[in-house]
Amino acid sequence: MQIYLPIAEMPVNVLTILAMGGAVGFLSGMFGVGGGFLMTPLLIFLGIPPAVAVGTQSTQVVASSMTGALAHFTRKSIDFKMGGILLIGGVAGSISGIYLFRVLTRIGQIDLVISLVYVLFLSVIGAMMMVESVRAIRAARGGVIPARRGGHHSWIHGLPFKMRFRRSKLYISVIPPILVGFFVGMLSAIMGVGGGFIMIPAMIYLLRMPTNVVIGTSFFQIVFVTALTGVMHAYTNFAVDIVLGFLLVIGGVIGAQYGVRAAEKLPSEQLRALLAAILLLIGLRLGFDLVTTPDDLYSVVDVAPHR
Amino acid sequence: MKTFPAYRLALALAFVVLAAGTVRADQLVTDLSAHQIAIRSNFTGTEILLFGAVEARTPGARALNRDIVVVVQGPNAPAMVRRKDRVGGVWVNHDSVTYPDVPGYYAVASTRPLEVTAPPETLRALRIGIENVDIGVAEARAIDGTAQALMPEQENAFWKALIRNRQRDRLYSNVPGGVTFLGQTLFRATVDIPANVPVGLYTAKVYLFQDGEVVDTISSPLYIDKRGIERFIYRAAHSDPLLYGLLAVLGAAFAGWLASAAMRRT
Repeated sequence: MQIYLPIAEMPVNVLTILAMGGAVGFLSGMFGVGGGFLMTPLLIFLGIPPAVAVGTQSTQVVASSMTGALAHFTRKSIDFKMGGILLIGGVAGSISGIYLFRVLTRIGQIDLVISLVYVLFLSVIGAMMMVESVRAIRAARGGVIPARRGGHHSWIHGLPFKMRFRRSKLYISVIPPILVGFFVGMLSAIMGVGGGFIMIPAMIYLLRMPTNVVIGTSFFQIVFVTALTGVMHAYTNFAVDIVLGFLLVIGGVIGAQYGVRAAEKLPSEQLRALLAAILLLIGLRLGFDLVTTPDDLYSVVDVAPHR
Repeated sequence: MKTFPAYRLALALAFVVLAAGTVRADQLVTDLSAHQIAIRSNFTGTEILLFGAVEARTPGARALNRDIVVVVQGPNAPAMVRRKDRVGGVWVNHDSVTYPDVPGYYAVASTRPLEVTAPPETLRALRIGIENVDIGVAEARAIDGTAQALMPEQENAFWKALIRNRQRDRLYSNVPGGVTFLGQTLFRATVDIPANVPVGLYTAKVYLFQDGEVVDTISSPLYIDKRGIERFIYRAAHSDPLLYGLLAVLGAAFAGWLASAAMRRT
């Protein structure tokens, strides 16, 4: 069943999009990730213009992170003060990211930059996850518990503008969370992702936040930053396709339900290794496309009126 | 048979010509199967049928060396062609050439290949065939955005690439044999309209050639536009982008809330 997308200006198969949304939603429910870093490249492979893929994907991330944030709100596992500080950085990052996106579109390098950023992040994160899950699988077999971080003081404690975060039991400078938020906001605008895969490790290892508030707080920040990103992509690039977004959300919501249930039954470390393999494959494919000689060196773009 | 405006026009013209007393060669009467194409949510491309007849002015004359050429042309817009070059092992968009007036759609169908229909000068003068269309003055730029001068043959490579790209997207086509005669006077042609056509005002022009010379032309409009929900969404996204964006995001947030509410219940 084909449907014509009004903003992407192309027909797509409804079932393909629903299946993609469902599969990515399944993985995101299973691993507690947003799934944006899987969906955006898939949409681009399908032939959706990169700007529309990124802009539309951000609305899907709003929906999935909203569900996540609400679940953590009822469990009271959100540090709102820390979330607010991360959000300040995120808003600034998202606005800068949108600006950068426009400049790159005008000079014709946006596709290249999206691909490069994806290759970098997918391969680094895929490799890290792979190493970690293989180590965990081995540890489970050998019964050895991998060593954990110590409690030593880091350079972060030397920074000014300290603030007390009661929920996280922290007294740290606001500079690192603002920078983390900024970086993630920028990625959200350029890649159409929530950025949890960067923010969560940064909160744990850099800010030393307690793990029980990390995911909830990251969802809280992501809802607002991707909402802003989505509105700005719609406003500056006309790049949000409501029809496509709707299909992705439907697929994602259904997939996520099954993903959460499946995660309780299946061996999580093996699945994590599988996800790592998927990330590495997508990264490799994108990287391969960057270095192999294209079929046609020339490409045509309509010169859209600039705002 | 239904009377079409184009048919009436042709008749009126015939009377004018008769009244003037100038005995001319054959004349065309044509029409399209549709003058409007609506892009709705189920649009996956379509076909338009162009049909017509050659009205012989001298009864009994043989229709030898008679050719029909149909040109359907879409709205003009600026288009930029970029060429990739390898920079540090990675293929990067490098030089670009912008043409100000490029048809978004250009389809030619003819009874015989264009080369044998008319001499190249004639085709060029009539601007038949995509390579004969006037696309304005090209503007070449380097990767850093500075203007640069290109040799004509270099620039031509960009123009050729534009045609090649649009042919691949089925936006430009040339179908020799795409016009078929049914007997001596009736002819028909089907023109492929792919799903990715630009919206706007199109013209379908029909040329009647006799021995390589144009003896008659007729032109009819064709309007392609988004309709229904497609039109509504596209309009909203472009005329009220802020409101549209807010609604899209609020809708998504609502869907997320709905999902969590549903999850809590189960």
